[in-house]
Amino acid sequence: MSGTETVFLVQALTCTALAVAGYLLSIFAKRVLVAKISTWILTAAFGFLTVNLVVAAVNWAGWDQFGSRHFLAFYAWATAGIYLGFQLKTKTRVLGVFVAPLILLLLIAAAGLAPNRSLVPPEWKGGLTTLHLVLSIAGEALFVLASAAGAMFLMQNRLIKSKKRAKMSKLLPSLGDLDKINFIGLMWGFVLLTAGVVTGTVYAVFVWEGAWLSDPRVVWSFAVWVAYGFLLHQRLAIGWGGVRMAALSVLIFMLFAVSAVAVRFCLPSMHSFI
Amino acid sequence: MIVLVGLNHKTAPLDVRERLFAGCQEMTHLPGELLKIDGVSEALYLSTCNRVEIVAKVEEGSPALSSLKDYLVRLGALSGDDAEKCLYAREGEEAIRHLFRVAASLDSLVMGEAQILGQVKDAYRQSLAENATGVALNRLMHRAFRTAKRVRTETGIAANPVSVSFAAVELAGKIFGTLAGKKLLVIGAGEMAQLACTHLAGNGVEQITVANRSAPQAAALAEQFHGRAVGLDALDEALDDADIVISSTGSPSYVITQQMVARCLRRRKNRLLFLIDIAVPRDIDPACGGIENVFLYNIDDLQGIVDENIKNRKREAIKAEAIVTQEVVNYADWLRQLEAVPTIVSLRRKAEGIVGREMEKAGNWLGALDGGDREKVEALVNGIVNKILHGPVTAMKEESVETRSQDIVAAARQLFKLDD
Repeated sequence: MSGTETVFLVQALTCTALAVAGYLLSIFAKRVLVAKISTWILTAAFGFLTVNLVVAAVNWAGWDQFGSRHFLAFYAWATAGIYLGFQLKTKTRVLGVFVAPLILLLLIAAAGLAPNRSLVPPEWKGGLTTLHLVLSIAGEALFVLASAAGAMFLMQNRLIKSKKRAKMSKLLPSLGDLDKINFIGLMWGFVLLTAGVVTGTVYAVFVWEGAWLSDPRVVWSFAVWVAYGFLLHQRLAIGWGGVRMAALSVLIFMLFAVSAVAVRFCLPSMHSFI
Repeated sequence: MIVLVGLNHKTAPLDVRERLFAGCQEMTHLPGELLKIDGVSEALYLSTCNRVEIVAKVEEGSPALSSLKDYLVRLGALSGDDAEKCLYAREGEEAIRHLFRVAASLDSLVMGEAQILGQVKDAYRQSLAENATGVALNRLMHRAFRTAKRVRTETGIAANPVSVSFAAVELAGKIFGTLAGKKLLVIGAGEMAQLACTHLAGNGVEQITVANRSAPQAAALAEQFHGRAVGLDALDEALDDADIVISSTGSPSYVITQQMVARCLRRRKNRLLFLIDIAVPRDIDPACGGIENVFLYNIDDLQGIVDENIKNRKREAIKAEAIVTQEVVNYADWLRQLEAVPTIVSLRRKAEGIVGREMEKAGNWLGALDGGDREKVEALVNGIVNKILHGPVTAMKEESVETRSQDIVAAARQLFKLDD
């Protein structure tokens, strides 16, 4: 990784850290203005990250070590991009309270990795693995976004139903916007995760042969896919929406978050490099 | 000195305000007319449905204040009794404070409303157009605008709605995000329904359906808002489409029942539904509020929000008053400094005159010097004069901020014989 790349990565990291602090402050101080400023700071971080990735792309040698810094930086960039894209349409800045810390964690992980270290074992490296990782993780990130919007929907719903004036209600986005984000997150998350599962399956069929089917991570990912697929079906075909959709997204997300940690640390898996 | 004369909704009944308002409307060049009053050097008048006020810069000790009062009495054809009860007159810092409070909407009927600032700006524009303002009023008005801006941004005085219909619009925004493209169902075609339609249509609601027992009344209201009219028997169907429902009929029983809402939710695929019940007795079964994705607010809930917002505004007004005080002190300091300015200018002119004459007298021997040396001598003389004047000028400026400036200004004029 070149010096220029590092400079931009560090700047992106600093800006994201400031944005996280700002978003948290906006929740405690209950001021939308602070969240607005934080969004601009996060936009600056996105700019620095873009430059970082452009520099990396020009210096192509860096991409041979896929799965290291660039992968995480790219992932942080995509998450920030999706979030900022939403801001153009919905003005749901407070959602940054959930999204910005995730971006920060990714950037810290990216900066902490040795530039030449590859996450994926060398014998498994390849275009299909890259595609599988990018699609699956992007899909899961969108589910995180959908669930975060769901959690905020439940809070706002409770505040409006209680008929009490609360500053928090002013700070939270409208129910309509949160429901829209929940839907878009679910839909695109499902599309990307499906593509991720398909690419992973194709790779595994040819390289890992039969051993992968009982891999805990595979079973877990498939369960996530089925659960969110069910939610999406209910929404599109039956017309579920609002409170029920928000509550189920949060519930499913919490169940899978807990089981993901359990799978990662308690069970042996072929995916334990992630 | 700045003075303010006028009356407002707190001091004068509507008929008195009307008369004075009409009198002001008849005068096409009122600011110019005000300048003709003896002792008035700058003037501006503000005339709204709630107040008529004149702000002016007048000579200290002149009878201008009572002349301005008399002028208003004549303009509004006020009786002696009315004038006594309704008119108020403020001088100096009190006048400045009053104007700043008016601009910041602290003196309005609905505290924190935004309209008054626009009206104050219009009043200033009119005076500017008639060349009726000068240094003092120009700065005073800019300070008033600045105060109003600070009050709006630094306090929450204008943050929350204080009318039932605004509170409903704000709630709808919290539920749907934007009202653009949303469909409104109005049940009942009375005055309240009309008011609600006006408000929501102004905020972007796309389609309005009016349901009423009397078809012609429904059709009339629907036509006004380019909507459609339906009978009460078609309510079930109308509920399927609506996002916001406002009900204000005189019906003694519920017009919308829990069963009706539960039935329509399935057909509308759980889209959010905002029910506003402004009827007494209630039109919508309170049990509807317990249904998933349905939000029910009745007149008491909305009034509760409004009452709490009014309380909040009163709390915020305390912060706003502190900002006003700060700005009044700043402006008053500047104005007092301004009082010393003519004397400082005369002092400088006198000194320059003395230097000029003495240099002319010394022309004979100065002429013998070469150009460079002559400039050095001139610079030396000017330097000495400036150093001598620096003390008195600074003292006059500082003293005029601390206290009233007349004493020190009078002393300076006497000491330096500026009035000779």
